[in-house]
Amino acid sequence: MLTRRRILQLLGASSAAGILGSPRGFAQGRPFTFCSFGGALSATEKAAFMDPAGAKFGAQIANVSPTNYAKIKAMVEAKAVEWDLVDVGGQFIYQGSEQGLLEKMDFSIIDTKHMNKAWITDYGVFTSTGATVIAYNTDKFPEGKAPTSWKDFWNVKDFPGPRSLYSRFYYNYEAALMAAGVARDQIYPATDEKVKLAFDKLREIKPHVKVWWTAGAQPVQLLSTGEVTMASAWSGRVLDVIKDKAPVTLTYKDAIAWGNAFIVPKGTPYRELAMKVINYAITEAAQEALLPLGTYGPVLASAAEKATPEQAKLYVSHPSNFKDSCIFSDEQVAKYVTKYEDEWKKFQLA
Amino acid sequence: MVEGSLGNWRLARQSTAGSATIRSQRLGQICVTGALLGPVLIFLATCFIAPLGELLSLSFSSSAGPLASYREIAASGVYRQVFTNTLILAFNVALIACLLAYPTAYMLSRLRGFALSVALWCVLFPLWISVLVRTFAWILLLGENGPVNRILMSGDLISRPISFLFNSTGVYIGMVHVLLPYALLPIYTAMRNVDQPLLLASDGLGASPFQTFARIYLPLTMPGVAAGFLLVFLLALGFYITPAMLGGMKNMTVAMLIDLFVTEQLVWPLAAAGAFWLLLLVLLLLLVASRFVNLTATVAAR
Repeated sequence: MLTRRRILQLLGASSAAGILGSPRGFAQGRPFTFCSFGGALSATEKAAFMDPAGAKFGAQIANVSPTNYAKIKAMVEAKAVEWDLVDVGGQFIYQGSEQGLLEKMDFSIIDTKHMNKAWITDYGVFTSTGATVIAYNTDKFPEGKAPTSWKDFWNVKDFPGPRSLYSRFYYNYEAALMAAGVARDQIYPATDEKVKLAFDKLREIKPHVKVWWTAGAQPVQLLSTGEVTMASAWSGRVLDVIKDKAPVTLTYKDAIAWGNAFIVPKGTPYRELAMKVINYAITEAAQEALLPLGTYGPVLASAAEKATPEQAKLYVSHPSNFKDSCIFSDEQVAKYVTKYEDEWKKFQLA
Repeated sequence: MVEGSLGNWRLARQSTAGSATIRSQRLGQICVTGALLGPVLIFLATCFIAPLGELLSLSFSSSAGPLASYREIAASGVYRQVFTNTLILAFNVALIACLLAYPTAYMLSRLRGFALSVALWCVLFPLWISVLVRTFAWILLLGENGPVNRILMSGDLISRPISFLFNSTGVYIGMVHVLLPYALLPIYTAMRNVDQPLLLASDGLGASPFQTFARIYLPLTMPGVAAGFLLVFLLALGFYITPAMLGGMKNMTVAMLIDLFVTEQLVWPLAAAGAFWLLLLVLLLLLVASRFVNLTATVAAR
């Protein structure tokens, strides 16, 4: 019989156990904590980076999700940091360092000699690659009739059915310009004329966009139930449902390639370990460990080249895919998103 | 009569015994009241008023001046539209919920014993399931290829699937469903408290059932309806998950706007100012409403 007294006893006992039995060596009485976006990305990072790094450094690493920028800001400002290493979208490197929320990367610990400098910034290092791609339902568009560009995405006559796009301006800006025929290397810098062109193009597709998705799981879910026929989606999420035999696939043609960035919130008690884990994540061994997992690709070109032809198809960072993609500029995005936020909201509500 | 005078006599005796006793008695009363109210006052002060004060100071902390955040929201046509949409949505949801709840509550008030327990369970049970789970269930049910559309299609009622989701229809279905019990329970309580012999009397005096309903039953249960309406309206104003998941981009509510300020744009003073604009609007609305409805009696309706 569970009486109130019994509950109180249990509570007392468990809190006593908490005091007596807590493992030693935890700063703040908690393990080193890594936070990412969840889903396929978190699973990949745990297997390729966190588990081996934990074993290597003799540290227990807790993996939590999802990343939330407001939480990072709140933790840092309250001086109660609970995430020691966080996977963020690249723009947050700029947004976060501007607000003083991030530790500077410690390049005395992180060795970046072997890396392409595009993946390294003062406040964050990219550790894996992915892309925002055109994903589609394979029942609606079987092989031979599949879309291969954002122009096809905009072409509702030959590729009929409802669409889904991301709920923020970024990704849509890039996609719309490609649909308008702007060359992939001419997308940036984001000038007023280009932004206007992007909005005009987006107004064209808007009546066909059924869902403006907010979470990575949404577009693949909507595609697999047939609620929409074509969507922009994060590549890893699509690859993940392909494994589950969902009637969904992607094309890397016109992909918007980006990196997953690791940042360290300011004031973490595990600063040094965080830098060590980042350093581990960009080693050859860790980067190669990404290949068999089949979701997000390596940032190291030398690791990407080791992919089997079968694996190469899966990664945007493989040369055969990379040549067809537009490289997402986090720095540009951080700027234009702030500048045109009002415009974007007007577009949403119109 | 005798007792009364006896009491007076006692009081007189006490007062002659000295005002000190009375003062100590009063002090004791204050202590008891304080001890009874204390915990809740401390709780409200630390968990509600203090954070609210902090939020208020945050709303004035914009680098462009103390009132800049308030001005930014008031000046923007986009934000004003979001506020208007939210108020209209909350009003409509409250109205629909009350219209649906009224007959249901009437049926509940007629039930007794086992049937009543079962029916009440059906009303209360959904309250114990996470709103997120229930909202997600609607996504599955109302999808293009979901069971609702499939049943309608197989019955040849419609030729192509109806778009229930990611538009206002979805938001209304989801929100009314989640908030219905909050309208139902106050109305049910009001109905249970209707003095039944009054209805018999009305009947006995020759009133038609409609007259009895319109002139006796409805006015007597109206405080319950008003309480239910108010409760649903206020809850709907702050609704986030359901419109975010079931609505389209046009269905942005104030809560979603604030979420955007907090989590994506990281402009917290603007988020705080948004919250206080909403609070201010609600207080104004309540002030206006209180001229027509006795709000204190409504909320305290038993």
